[in-house]
Amino acid sequence: MSLWRLEWLRLLRTHRLLTILGVYVFFGLTGPLTVRYLGQILGSLGTGGVEVEFPEPTPADGIAQFTGDASQIGLLVVVMVAASALAFDSRREMAVFLRSRVPGVYRIILPAYAMSTIAGFAGLACGTLAAWYETVVLLGPVPIGSLLTGLLLGALFLAFAVGVVALSASLAKGALATAGISLGSLLGMAIAAGVGGPNVSRWLPTTLAGAMGDLVRQGRPEDYLPAAGLCILATAGCLLAAIALANRREL
Amino acid sequence: MMVRTAALTKRYGEQGALSNVDVEVPRGSVYGLVGPNGAGKTTLLTILAGLCRPTGGQVQLEVPRRRMALLPDTPQFDPWLTGREVVALAAHLAGIDGPRPRALRVLADAGLAEAADRRVGGYSRGMLQRLGIAATLVGEPELLLLDEPASALDPAGRREVLDLIAGMRGEATVMLSSHILADVHEVCDIVGILRAGKLLYQGTLENLLVGRAVPAYRIHLRSAVEPVIDVLRRQPWVTSVAAPLPHRLHVRVRSLADAERHLAPLLGNCGAQVISMTPDTADLEDVFLELTS
Repeated sequence: MSLWRLEWLRLLRTHRLLTILGVYVFFGLTGPLTVRYLGQILGSLGTGGVEVEFPEPTPADGIAQFTGDASQIGLLVVVMVAASALAFDSRREMAVFLRSRVPGVYRIILPAYAMSTIAGFAGLACGTLAAWYETVVLLGPVPIGSLLTGLLLGALFLAFAVGVVALSASLAKGALATAGISLGSLLGMAIAAGVGGPNVSRWLPTTLAGAMGDLVRQGRPEDYLPAAGLCILATAGCLLAAIALANRREL
Repeated sequence: MMVRTAALTKRYGEQGALSNVDVEVPRGSVYGLVGPNGAGKTTLLTILAGLCRPTGGQVQLEVPRRRMALLPDTPQFDPWLTGREVVALAAHLAGIDGPRPRALRVLADAGLAEAADRRVGGYSRGMLQRLGIAATLVGEPELLLLDEPASALDPAGRREVLDLIAGMRGEATVMLSSHILADVHEVCDIVGILRAGKLLYQGTLENLLVGRAVPAYRIHLRSAVEPVIDVLRRQPWVTSVAAPLPHRLHVRVRSLADAERHLAPLLGNCGAQVISMTPDTADLEDVFLELTS
């Protein structure tokens, strides 16, 4: 029974893995469906005599709808799940059990970080698969290469987001506070990207969250290289800082 | 010495938790740390376990941290783990990935054999404490730091835990904190009395109690006490005689040796019918209250 297995059991027995997979797959199935039938849905609701014409939906619209939903609700779920695993100091007695038995707190943080990231990636991958299938069936073919590149960039962003959670957990003790700080930081980064324009956003990891939708619309992968590079460095920085701060924390 | 601290001090802002504490715990001993709530017992154990840094002073341990184990007063574990998994995790973290029978034996010793495959979320507080003890012992630590190890247990469970601790004497060094003075009296070789972060006494129980005991005897007679009182008051080795209750006497003497030599013959010569006669020793509770009040 290792700490890796502990984290795996945490995901499995608390149904957190199932929740992540369920949320991503749900949006993977409903995103393209919503795009395909949006006109009919609004028409059936009635528009008060005003006729609204929608352009013919494209396969890229279906994928973009999925990434839009997944980068918000999916991210929220991943952050909550990661916070519950990484805020291991929130209950002193449980923290004593783990901390007093390891030579360094990195042995607790790394499995919790890795398993949360893998769970997030599994959710994103399953959701992407569902969105791809639904889009192909309802809207038409999707370029697989662009989709996979987008999936990879999305996974990088999730790794960064969980890294931010790890850092937040070493600043706050409770899982809710950890999730709050993490979501606040990620939201702040997204706002900075919006306010700063392309010159700022091309460097920010949050840009990667919607990369899949852009890439299937003929976006260029190389445009995401600065954000991907910075994302990897920032993730490593967050983890190192989290370990250093958690080592200094007293119980 | 397995554990030695020198001028150990811990402050939380303006609040002092420990002040110049010099603790010495001999290897293989059972050391009892007693004191009222807020005395600093948990802080001291937490510092020794490396989970909290002292503000000042030094800690010397003759054991690597991986050979130590700290048991908090109310152990808690992830509720979705089974008891067996908790013990297996503790064994793995202690570097003991041996055969399963070891974990099972430890669980059985803690009285949890039947609940081993149940999830911890359904355990009672007493069962959690037993599980904490099992998870502590499975690592075969050389130094055990036990914070109120029997506080949540019923009398039978307390008895088992005390026997477990007593059985470790000589094999491992145990430092336990407790406010149950009878437990400390029963299993500890050495006691340290803490109050408001200061170590008021450290030494063997014998020295603590003998040094403070006023030599005296408690006598219970079936016959009347008045004739005996008169005779006793005339003895040079008797310093005072009192009758706190009917048929009972409290006799203070110059020394217990004098009483052992003269008291029984004297009562016999008086024709007294003696039901019981016991030396009156100070107990830990008296001394504790005296020191900490």
